[in-house]
Amino acid sequence: MRKKKKFIILFVLVISFHSFFLLKPDFAQQVGQKEKTEMTQEEESQEKIISGPQNIKESTGIYVFVAWMWLAIFVLIYILNLKIKEVDRLFEIRFISEKKK
Amino acid sequence: MSSTGRYKGFQSWLDERSGLSEIFRFLREKKIPQHRHSMWYYTGSAILLFFAIQVITGFLLVFYYNPTLEGANASVARIMTEVPLGWIIRSVHSWSASFMIAFVFVHLLSIWITKAYRKPREMTWMSGVFLLFVSLAFGFTGYLLPWDDLSLSATKVGTDIPRSIPVIGVWVTKLLRGGEDVTGDTLTRFFGFHVSILPVFLLAFLAIHVYLIQKQGMSIPLVAEKKDEKMKELPFWPNFVYREMVVWLVLTGILFSVAVFFPPSLDKAADLMAPAPEGIRPEWYFLFLFQMLKIFPAKILFVNGDTLAVLLIFLGVVAFFFLPLIDNKPEEKKGKIITIIAYLFIVYAVAMTIWSLL
Repeated sequence: MRKKKKFIILFVLVISFHSFFLLKPDFAQQVGQKEKTEMTQEEESQEKIISGPQNIKESTGIYVFVAWMWLAIFVLIYILNLKIKEVDRLFEIRFISEKKK
Repeated sequence: MSSTGRYKGFQSWLDERSGLSEIFRFLREKKIPQHRHSMWYYTGSAILLFFAIQVITGFLLVFYYNPTLEGANASVARIMTEVPLGWIIRSVHSWSASFMIAFVFVHLLSIWITKAYRKPREMTWMSGVFLLFVSLAFGFTGYLLPWDDLSLSATKVGTDIPRSIPVIGVWVTKLLRGGEDVTGDTLTRFFGFHVSILPVFLLAFLAIHVYLIQKQGMSIPLVAEKKDEKMKELPFWPNFVYREMVVWLVLTGILFSVAVFFPPSLDKAADLMAPAPEGIRPEWYFLFLFQMLKIFPAKILFVNGDTLAVLLIFLGVVAFFFLPLIDNKPEEKKGKIITIIAYLFIVYAVAMTIWSLL
């Protein structure tokens, strides 16, 4: 049971952090350049270019980044929510005491 | 001297020279009214957020963009395929422009419907309408910069519209194009407008707009003002700013997600000699005007249809600009009719946009 738990934690950590290595733009670019054929700039501009990740590694990196971004946003919103409640409460207390005066 | 002492010393040194503490005191004392229409207050800061993103991504793009006939399309292609993460930067720039203009429309329409432009905020409205025009000009000039078939044709159509204006029409078209037709000169001219002239105008009007908002304070909806009851207020700092941060975070997340999943593509380089491609279409925020021009008859009595349509649009824009002066008694019947016109305008713009997309 304990082994299973350890394995799950390890798996989650690997999945979570491998994206940082994938996000290295140099690596993705190197792969992208290798895949490119020897076209002249003129020929290249004749085609319609579909924007997006250049290869599977870049796309995985980008999508994991988006997932991390949303996770960070939710955590920040949670913290901000607590801060809002706190400052509102402080303001209410001051507001009530001002009213009493 | 301890680090706290050094910090305090630096703070007082800075304050003595800049008067920053006065600004912070003002922000702490500034109050935001709380009512059921409060959510519209957040649209203003959302526009600022998208503008900031535009500036940052614009700086990054300008390092690689080449505003010449030969280099424009190729440099955008290079940004998208060779520059590390260039496609995301371009996508974020393009999408944040759309988001910004959408929020400018929502912001202005919410002010129109809640009558927030009433005395003494007429000038705030007018500076806001100027900001809308500048934002639309940003969109129009930016659309040509990738220099592909579609953007060239759309610019040809767009710059041809002023030609219908009597007396000055031809001159305006020539001024926009830098000549008789859309050429490399137009591209250079649009790039100049996009990165140097329009930002100056935008910053100037933004400064005036923000100053006027701070001077007049936040507007209270007409309904609440009529009741004449004491309204709940929140301090701007930190209560309102924290709430704004939540909105900024969500909007930034949405913008990046949309930019990643729906990046704009790039057509082949525009050919000045080639015939116009099918399905010429401007950016979505011009579609309702584009459709209106399209369906207008060629002749109405003895008047040229295009001229009449352009004059109608011009009159509409003038009326929109002077709206606070026209709607000078918002609580009376005239004010109510103007509110109905606002709703009709929304229905009209949405319907025309959908029609144009079909």
